[in-house]
Amino acid sequence: MLSIDGLRSGYGKSEALHGVSMDIEAGTVVTIIGANGAGKSTLVNTVSGLVPVMSGRMSFEGRDITDLAAADIVDLGIVQVPEGRKLFGPLTVEENLELGAYRSRSVKASEIARRRAFVFELFPRLAERAGQRAATLSGGEQQMVAMGRALMAQPKLLLLDEPSLGLAPIVVDRVFDTLAKLKGDGMTMLLVEQRADMALAIADFAYVMATGRIVANGPTDAMRADTRVQQAYLGEAGVFEG
Amino acid sequence: MVTEARLDILGILVLSGLTNGSVYALVGLSLALTYGASRVINFAQGEFVMLGALATVLFVTTVALPMLVSIPLVLVICAMVGLMLERFAYRPLVARNAPPLTVMIGTLACASIMVGAALLVWGPNQYFVPNAFSLDGITVAGITSTPQQLAIIASFAILMLLIWLLLYRTTFGLAIRAVGIDPEVSKLMGIRAERVVSFAFVFSAVIGGLAGILVGPLLGGHVSMGVVLTIKGFMAVILGGMGSPFAAAAGGLAIGLLEATVAFYGNSLYAEPIIFGLILLTLIVRPAGLLGEWEAMRR
Repeated sequence: MLSIDGLRSGYGKSEALHGVSMDIEAGTVVTIIGANGAGKSTLVNTVSGLVPVMSGRMSFEGRDITDLAAADIVDLGIVQVPEGRKLFGPLTVEENLELGAYRSRSVKASEIARRRAFVFELFPRLAERAGQRAATLSGGEQQMVAMGRALMAQPKLLLLDEPSLGLAPIVVDRVFDTLAKLKGDGMTMLLVEQRADMALAIADFAYVMATGRIVANGPTDAMRADTRVQQAYLGEAGVFEG
Repeated sequence: MVTEARLDILGILVLSGLTNGSVYALVGLSLALTYGASRVINFAQGEFVMLGALATVLFVTTVALPMLVSIPLVLVICAMVGLMLERFAYRPLVARNAPPLTVMIGTLACASIMVGAALLVWGPNQYFVPNAFSLDGITVAGITSTPQQLAIIASFAILMLLIWLLLYRTTFGLAIRAVGIDPEVSKLMGIRAERVVSFAFVFSAVIGGLAGILVGPLLGGHVSMGVVLTIKGFMAVILGGMGSPFAAAAGGLAIGLLEATVAFYGNSLYAEPIIFGLILLTLIVRPAGLLGEWEAMRR
């Protein structure tokens, strides 16, 4: 579905990704794990069209997307839940969700209403908070808005950048429950996560990144057992509990 | 008798204060609108009022076109110059990662260029700007005014309503507010943030032009009239509150009313220092402006 080949990208003159290749099959969940500064967020933001590509190609459903603008990427169905949630804090929950569906303006109102109902069914709390300013919500609720906002665009590929960041353990569990539910619905996801144990538990395939490169990849079962992975990242980060 | 005379004076003060205040408010709200989308104070904003007034002279007096034909032409010219400002000053600077202050200096340069260009076209003379509405006094309930004056206030009120509807009742308005809060994340929503910024510049230029058409007949058209209005508009933004077009507009009205009052009871020469003093005092007490910050400021 998404195919990345020899991707180099970065801000200004400094290259942050040094030739990354990756494939995501439709209906699968792929996780990228790696320490802080490994380039995981840069990769996700490059796919979203926010970071300029220096060389390499990206294609989505057979279409070249290397030089597309962020808005065109969203149009194709690649939607990101950014790191740190990045809600429009002064706007209401309802308005945040509406912005998620911004590219769907030509879509029928009934379809938008259906998506909103789906989001509210997934996160009943948001229905209660619809008129509240997003900035006044708890961290967990904000993560729900961020995910709900992305789902309003009806993504084909959902990019999730550190959805557990800064959340209490019990809330993190809920976030992963939601991801499991979405996976059950057949949603294709690219999940960037610091909590490698949880990411590996939900994903089908994993890539390990370090300093802007992919250092290991494989099916998650194999990756969990891979001592290189454990040494390279999991053990070192101290979050591996499996 | 005494109270009646006082009421008359109050009426005149309020009316003339609102007239000037409406113009300051229009400049202020367009400054705030551009700032909301781009984080930049456009120091050329007042020049669009100048351009509006002098272009009206060009089309109505020089070319002798009917007013109704001239007005759209004037607004189109202002829109085009606004777009050029965005394309050739704002955008190249931002693309090279210039800090906001540098971009603002860039708009200041544009203001100078616009004045220089206007000087080439119109020279240094003061022009009579043809009026769209009558300048003959009409007296209602003992208060004398002119249709032109009333048109300024009415246009201002209508524009405020339209801008409110645009910002708070349309999806595009929601996008404008989103870009003001976080341009990067708004791109993740599929909003073309650059287009929103272009729109803010062009729309503000058109509002400036409209203000010029309206106030020109009262102020007279002159190439250097824009600077003062930029300053007044900027004062309105600072006084009302950064980031909200409506707070800025309220600030503009307040400055207009203050000016009229000070000018009447004292001397118009003192009006400006007194108003600056009052603004300074206000800001010491309320640094974010009278009405505080808008959503765009609370990043």
